[in-house]
Amino acid sequence: MATNNDILLRTAATAGLTRLTEAHLAQLKRAIESARELGDKLPKDLHYSEEIAVTFRLPAAGGSKP
Amino acid sequence: MTDLAFLGIADAADLIRTRKLSPVEYIAALLDRTGRLDSRYHAFIRLTPDLALAGARQAEKEIAGGNWRGPLHGIPTGLKDIIDCAGVPTTAHSKVLVENVAAQDAMVTQRLKSAGAIVMGKLATHEFAIGGPSFDLPWPPAVNPWGGNHFPGGSSSGSGVALAAGMLPAALGTDTGGSVRNPASMCGITGMKPTYGRVSRRGVLPLAYSLDHVGPMTRTVRDNALLLQVLAGHDPDDPGSANVPVSHYAADLERGVKGLKLGLVRHFYVEDMQAHPEQAEAIDRAAELLRGLGAEVREIRLAPLQDYATCTRIIIRCEAFAIHRRWLAERPGDYGNLARQRILDGAAVSATDYIDAQRLRGRLTRRTLEMFAGLDAVLTASSLDPACRIDDADACAWLYPRQARQPFNVTGQPAIAIPAGFTQDDLPLSLQLIGHPWQEAMLYRIARAYERATDWTERHPSAVSAA
Repeated sequence: MATNNDILLRTAATAGLTRLTEAHLAQLKRAIESARELGDKLPKDLHYSEEIAVTFRLPAAGGSKP
Repeated sequence: MTDLAFLGIADAADLIRTRKLSPVEYIAALLDRTGRLDSRYHAFIRLTPDLALAGARQAEKEIAGGNWRGPLHGIPTGLKDIIDCAGVPTTAHSKVLVENVAAQDAMVTQRLKSAGAIVMGKLATHEFAIGGPSFDLPWPPAVNPWGGNHFPGGSSSGSGVALAAGMLPAALGTDTGGSVRNPASMCGITGMKPTYGRVSRRGVLPLAYSLDHVGPMTRTVRDNALLLQVLAGHDPDDPGSANVPVSHYAADLERGVKGLKLGLVRHFYVEDMQAHPEQAEAIDRAAELLRGLGAEVREIRLAPLQDYATCTRIIIRCEAFAIHRRWLAERPGDYGNLARQRILDGAAVSATDYIDAQRLRGRLTRRTLEMFAGLDAVLTASSLDPACRIDDADACAWLYPRQARQPFNVTGQPAIAIPAGFTQDDLPLSLQLIGHPWQEAMLYRIARAYERATDWTERHPSAVSAA
């Protein structure tokens, strides 16, 4: 059975953070708790039709960058 | 020396143009003053005296030859140290980038240099514009010249301090969640966050690219308009830059506010959060003063501050983590404690929450702009409190989120923070004016009317006035 510390290490590894010290992992633990609290504050009725669509844009004709 | 120290851009430009003030003598005097004061205030991470004196000599030669370029010609400026200046390190106040010498100028640096401005040095910031005030970095944090040992706000802390201490008349800051307007409020100076896309961010280290803005910081409203005039414009190499015509920002400065319609957002500072009484009273008095000058001021309601804060915090965390992930993976110990915590916060936010925060952003922006309909601008708080002591970590942490600036990073509207008085302890108070997108000129007009009717910008910290 995975311990809280295992879960923390797995979260760090998933994020590519394999060199965190114990003190840094304690910060990550606070980050996880804080992210959960912050996510809970988001409205629950947000709909995909409210997408602001900044995720992809084709370059303008003749332009070098999107 | 005090006269040169607190000379504004507009007045200095007149003296330089008419050759009553030598740019070389001007920069030399400010470098000398900074050398005497900055061991106490730490506004600068790095002075660039050779670059500055060479620029000043060139300006002097050009002006003597009849080639005055405009109001910024020969004017000393400073760059927050996340803004590139070719050949000079951009450190972001961090051990991570201590040897990061910029290969090219940022677009805003190019624009300043083209206007003939002189880069005097790189200014202190919170680490990567997110972690501060911190005492575990290669440089100490900047200290407010107002008060005994007070927090100057941030993250453009050095810019606010250098202006308040009379080390220079113009500085650039950046504003992702309020970082131009916060030090402006704490240091008693003027800071504009222009409309999103108005000023290029190319060559500026990002914090959260969908919320980042570069903004002018000065002591007076007129100076701010002159500085924005040089910075504003389309840059096709900044994907967020907008191809919108640039206004003449100083054109309407003296037109007053008679007949203008202003909204007052009181619930931000009396209901959503309760501001320090002296701060709340200062904004209410400002509303009365503007009424007295002929504006129609009526109270309006926007979404609660907390809604904007949730949206901003999720977006900043995610975008900042995406930017820092590689450095943080390789060198976590090279970050200061505060920046590491705030950036790590983004490692734990889900992709779904980030997308929902962007959806919320669209909703908040639409609703906010609807409430601005029929108004010329809106007045509210910037900071909810005066500065606390910088060595009181708990007070700084408490103070940091107590602000009404983030809503306008979410909506991308222009917003200016200006001085609005002083506490009984002689610490600056402030107010914020917010406009319709691309209407910075209207904000300057209102801010100037208020400034003209008060004397706040004429006061300087006693600790540096006689230096």
